[in-house]
Amino acid sequence: MLFNSLTFVVFFAVVVTAYWGIRSWNPRKNLLLVASYIFYGAWNPPFAALLFSTTAMDFWLGARIARAKGHHARRVWMTASVCMNLSMLGFFKYGNFLLENFQWLVARIGIIYQPPHLDILLPVGISFYTFHSLSYTLDVYRGVMQPTKSLRDFVLAVSFFPQLVAGPIVRAGDFLPQLVAPPKPQTGRFLWGLLLMTLGLFEKIVLADTMLAGSADRIFGYAGPLIALDSWLGVMAFAGQIFFDFAGYSTCAIGAALCLGFHLKDNFRFPYAAIGFSDFWSRWHISLSTFLRDYLYIPLGGNRLGLGRAVINLVIVMFLGGLWHGAAWTFVVWGLLHGTYLVIEHLSRALLREAGWAETFPVKLLLGLITYVAVCIAWVFFRSSDFTIAARMLSGMFGGHEHGDAILSTLEMLQIGLVTFFMILAHWLLRDTSIEKAVERLPRWLVTTAWALMACAIILTQGNSNAFIYFQF
Amino acid sequence: MPSSTSSFERKIPGLPWRGITVIVVLTVVAAATAWETYVRSIGYGPTLNSTEDLWADARRAVQPESVVVIGDSRGWFDVDLDEFEKGLGKRPIQLAMGGSCAYPVLADLASDEHFHGTIICSVVPRMFFAPPGAPPVARAEKAIRRYRTQQLAQRASQYLAMPLEEHLAFLKQEDLTTKALLDDLPIPDRPNAQVPPRLPSYFGTVDRERRARMIERCAQPGKLQHTIQQRWLRLFTPPPPPNYVPKQVFMENMGKAREARFVDTIKAVEKLRARGGKIVFVRFPVSGELKALEDRLTPRADLWESLLKRTKVPGIYFEDFPELSSFSCPEWSHLSAGDSVEFSKRLVPHLRTALQL
Repeated sequence: MLFNSLTFVVFFAVVVTAYWGIRSWNPRKNLLLVASYIFYGAWNPPFAALLFSTTAMDFWLGARIARAKGHHARRVWMTASVCMNLSMLGFFKYGNFLLENFQWLVARIGIIYQPPHLDILLPVGISFYTFHSLSYTLDVYRGVMQPTKSLRDFVLAVSFFPQLVAGPIVRAGDFLPQLVAPPKPQTGRFLWGLLLMTLGLFEKIVLADTMLAGSADRIFGYAGPLIALDSWLGVMAFAGQIFFDFAGYSTCAIGAALCLGFHLKDNFRFPYAAIGFSDFWSRWHISLSTFLRDYLYIPLGGNRLGLGRAVINLVIVMFLGGLWHGAAWTFVVWGLLHGTYLVIEHLSRALLREAGWAETFPVKLLLGLITYVAVCIAWVFFRSSDFTIAARMLSGMFGGHEHGDAILSTLEMLQIGLVTFFMILAHWLLRDTSIEKAVERLPRWLVTTAWALMACAIILTQGNSNAFIYFQF
Repeated sequence: MPSSTSSFERKIPGLPWRGITVIVVLTVVAAATAWETYVRSIGYGPTLNSTEDLWADARRAVQPESVVVIGDSRGWFDVDLDEFEKGLGKRPIQLAMGGSCAYPVLADLASDEHFHGTIICSVVPRMFFAPPGAPPVARAEKAIRRYRTQQLAQRASQYLAMPLEEHLAFLKQEDLTTKALLDDLPIPDRPNAQVPPRLPSYFGTVDRERRARMIERCAQPGKLQHTIQQRWLRLFTPPPPPNYVPKQVFMENMGKAREARFVDTIKAVEKLRARGGKIVFVRFPVSGELKALEDRLTPRADLWESLLKRTKVPGIYFEDFPELSSFSCPEWSHLSAGDSVEFSKRLVPHLRTALQL
């Protein structure tokens, strides 16, 4: 069920009405649980069974970890949980990718092996809910939290419908405490939640799908050489599209959760105003980057074991972060490119530690623009379905096709230019604050007007909008 | 050890939310009402949107012995389901789509082991022989994909949308969305920009059976009719071969794609007939400069005659029969709603003969 669908509007209205209409806390949690499984099952009912089985398994493993005596036994149960979750992910998401690469590898030593193509349907949101669930057993193992005694609460924490299929990756440790006592009804929280949902839908339907998606699709789908202007505009269109698409989903999720009295953390914090790549990853898909930091980078040693080891750890994390997004080498290159950016930044920071001029605004602005351009270059690999397309795009961007084609209409160019300009401007204006603080500072008439305009634009744009990009991950 | 690790709480901006919400709701309702009033005043009326979900609904309605209309927009606008039902004894299912190639739907029905009914296939050569990946083929394939993979939530959204679309004119997706309104802005393109032509704007309505009817404003001479005529000319004029493929190679590839379509169609027809299914190709009326353009670019002997000869499928070409060729398409490509009824009535005897009913 998509947030940007009529089915969701009706579903959400029914759930919210029933939820606040019920007095007792346990029946309300039961209602949310059933609603979450209906939300998920509306895609493909059998996958709801898969979701439940992996969740129930982690619940049981969490209890075993807590009860195990001795570090070794705890480690064994934690490893079982990691293996179970990653093997599910591996089978559904990486099965064919692994077979194809195995085929390629054995062909290098002269063995001709023709693997069967596994006709596997990817369960929607499997990368997200696997991480929701895995965070629980890992936190119990780390001693950060005690296991919950309620299977229902844990299943609800993993499957809570606002964040189930495309994040934010909500850790059990952040959500389970909110299931202890019922939230009190608060009109302000509820209506602010509705405003956030409107903002998220506006980002997705109007900005991502209407203003940018068509241009990005045409540019990346064009089979011939393109001139530099069209190539760059195509990449900028995708940079904006993926931000508005994914941040829009996260904002909707946060808003929907607020309407039900739950608090989810930010997943984006004005990333295109990042100064440097560490800053970018502290603003982009924050729930994934902190997950990788806490459960991978730090356990690998982080930066505690010297610069060399830190560099290796960064590259490992970004390699796996890239692969998490999809079973293709283009995603790996995207991750490694970001890993390289981070390494260069680390080394530069070590060299320029004492440079006061680096803290002046013009230099920060320049570094911010360099960051944006470098991030755009990395998006080429993320968006391209193969390296031929990526190479053609990069060649076009750097003037390799002097006599290439121009395929964007003037209107499309204006849309990309204006949306990108105002997006970056907004990110810079808001980079050191939060949406809540910014809204609080605005005059009431402006908040009212902006909300009404966004709602009108959504209604005007209506129709069968596209699925969210991150659903495929 | 705590059983919880976080007591995170989002800040809620301290604003008078009740008052703001009331004003927003009133503003949105007022704006929607004003917009609805305006679009009705310029000629729009409520109609269902022709979506893949609506098509999937119709495809699901196909029974083993159904009569099915497939193909491009001429088979969609020019067929009256009531007249076909009267003449053929069964109410046809309308699966033709605007700007689409008939072949993917023909192949889909031919591969459906349960189906052994009758196919009435509209053929506009430029659409029917469109190469793989071209928009006419992609449109048809997208609809078929939706039929095969449609989720419960998508079906529910379609059922919820229909009553709204039947009452609100501004929900016309093809014309009145933000994107369509922006596309209508008179902004000139770069001289060398290869910008694809747009499909014509509002000229029809669609009901729950996917029966399409031309609106009266389009059937009458005027600005709308003229605009649509000019858009057809641009759409039906082939774009120049792409710069990145040598012209000779491009033409060879087009030839190969055309031959492959012949071969694939023959296979699909044989498969359908092996199960007792029937098929007839129909060339619906076309008029004015568009007819001249089509006759020049896709001569009858090259494609239509070859298609009938190679597939051994009976065909009805509107020009061959005085009672069918006397119709004029107001915007050159489709019949008016009224004419489509009369045309269908006159077409039925020819269909019965061709299908040996």
